[in-house]
Amino acid sequence: MSDNLKDKIAWMKSAKGITILGSIFLALFATINSGPYVLVNTIITGGMLALVSTGLTLMLGVLNIAMFAHGEFFMIGSLSAYYVFTPISNYTAMHPDSFLVTWGPMVAIFTSMVVGAIAGIIAEFLVFRPLRKRAAENWVMNSFLLTVGLSVLLVNLHQLIFGADFKGIVRYWGGMPFSFADVFISRDRVISFCLSAFIVFLFWAFMTYTRTGRAIRAVSQDATGAQIVGINIETIVLMTISLSCALAGVAGGSLLFMYPSYPTMGLEPLYMAWFVVILSGLGNILGAVAGAFMVALLKVVTVEYVGAGWDFVVPSILIMLILIFKPSGIFGSEVRGVLDT
Amino acid sequence: METTNTVQSSPAWGTLLGKIGFNPAGILCVFLLMALPFIPPFNQEYLLRWLIYAAFIATLSVGFDFTSGYINIVNFGYAAVAGYGGYTSALLAVNLNISPWIGIFIGGANAAVLGLIIGMISLRLRGIFAACLSWFFGLALMGLATKLVWLTRGPLGLRTPRMFETESNIPFYYLIIVLLILTYVICKMVVNSKMGLAFKAIGQNMDAARTSGINPVFYRVFNFTLSCALAGILGGFYGHYYGILTPEVMHTTKTVEVLAVAYIGGRGSLWGGAVVAFPFIFLMEIIRSTLSHLPGLNLVIYALMLILVMIYYPGGFSHFFDVHIRQSKNKILRILTGNA
Repeated sequence: MSDNLKDKIAWMKSAKGITILGSIFLALFATINSGPYVLVNTIITGGMLALVSTGLTLMLGVLNIAMFAHGEFFMIGSLSAYYVFTPISNYTAMHPDSFLVTWGPMVAIFTSMVVGAIAGIIAEFLVFRPLRKRAAENWVMNSFLLTVGLSVLLVNLHQLIFGADFKGIVRYWGGMPFSFADVFISRDRVISFCLSAFIVFLFWAFMTYTRTGRAIRAVSQDATGAQIVGINIETIVLMTISLSCALAGVAGGSLLFMYPSYPTMGLEPLYMAWFVVILSGLGNILGAVAGAFMVALLKVVTVEYVGAGWDFVVPSILIMLILIFKPSGIFGSEVRGVLDT
Repeated sequence: METTNTVQSSPAWGTLLGKIGFNPAGILCVFLLMALPFIPPFNQEYLLRWLIYAAFIATLSVGFDFTSGYINIVNFGYAAVAGYGGYTSALLAVNLNISPWIGIFIGGANAAVLGLIIGMISLRLRGIFAACLSWFFGLALMGLATKLVWLTRGPLGLRTPRMFETESNIPFYYLIIVLLILTYVICKMVVNSKMGLAFKAIGQNMDAARTSGINPVFYRVFNFTLSCALAGILGGFYGHYYGILTPEVMHTTKTVEVLAVAYIGGRGSLWGGAVVAFPFIFLMEIIRSTLSHLPGLNLVIYALMLILVMIYYPGGFSHFFDVHIRQSKNKILRILTGNA
């Protein structure tokens, strides 16, 4: 019993424990001080961020690609959801008791996921596979610069083909907002949060319990070793890219009602996701989820107490401080060693 | 990868030039740049503006390559550092009436301090993590420039005095060319010294470098400080040339522009980016102005070029130059490139 207690105290003293407890206290303080909507906003932003950053962390862990174009897959997701949902909403406006009133948004969100996955696969075939075949040394930096190019390319293709204006919708599901502890939360937010929680859970279960998930984790730990035991690396790589891009796409699709689609919309989710990945260390899905909520809390609290627009400055300074004192992240894992090139 | 002439094999008149990193072809390029404002299509004001912009990007890419090509850390907040130097100089000129000519050097010194800080705090990080850190630094700086409206007037833009009280672009053009040459010579002299060897060793394998007695702390910090100081001076030039500074200067897309030029030019060469920037920026501007009904097309081409170069020709232009021109069978080409 006392050993148990000692373990707990040791955990609390570790960086992990200090940050988690600190975040919980901060959340409680902000909630009591300004009202429960802080908590609600945190949870909803965190859900979105968890989707984007688990994809990013997966890509970094398995493929060693420091993805700079992840926000653009978010953008692709929201764009495809927009183009699927607009005709659906026109149809439901005329047929208000069609089944699409309930299921139409689901169709749009599901499409965004599929399109995200397809875009990821196309990117793998056109860009990453040729690079993997040719580049022997300095892979991390080269692939990073490649994704920078990919990001610029996708942003400007969007502008060229679909124009630079905001492509947004008013809402997915209409109806009364839910009321929860004196705050009214719109139905869209609740459902999209549930959806992202469900997807993250599915993803976690997939990575933990299925054979393919285990293979992916094996590749992330040691690619050569995985190959020796008979895992087909190319398949795993393809699957990882499509999975992580699908996660970014579904995040974009389910948040279309909050973030209208426009060319450079991907930058914010991108750097937020990078904050999360750096904060939580690599290769650790649950760590990324926890980190996502922490970054979301930081952002919401900054907007609440310092002002809108400062949510760039304060989190980035804090994360720089964390990087200085704990370069491998709070939940740092062994996987990081791969990047030391 | 070294392309400038080496001291051993070049003729006597070349040794001095070789020390500062020029070969006959390089000198020709410099003369061409000097004469360019008087050659017909380029003597129009709007083309001169493009030239100045191209030279600005070229100079930044030299400073950028000094970090990324040698110690192998991409300074992703480079444009933000330049903008920081620009804002320093502009604020001094606006609030304290300090002449831009002194201001840009104070801006450079200030940016050097910033580079010192970035270099220090990124010491424990490697590769991509250091790049991320400098990126976050840049984001924070840009956020500050946007939000400190009482100081920088935020997105409205800060009006700055120009360096020359004239409508003509020619003095600005010669100034930026001088800055380009100075930046190149400074970087080249550092790189050609013992320090350059240490930079390369650190960039290739830090542990091996440390084992052979190189102290990475000093070299990394020094590298960041110098390249950021150069960026700061250039940012000052940018502010005092356009007469207005907005936080857009510090945006990540500006860094990406410099990065693309530096990498298409060839990493670790310093001169590659400077040479490539001129045709490259011109191509972009021509596409942008003639096909203005297709916004973004120029950047699509730009990104495609970056991707293709990264996949199929990671050595960039300088590698092409080394293999096909400097060591070609044609003797004239070899003499021209100082490889006789």
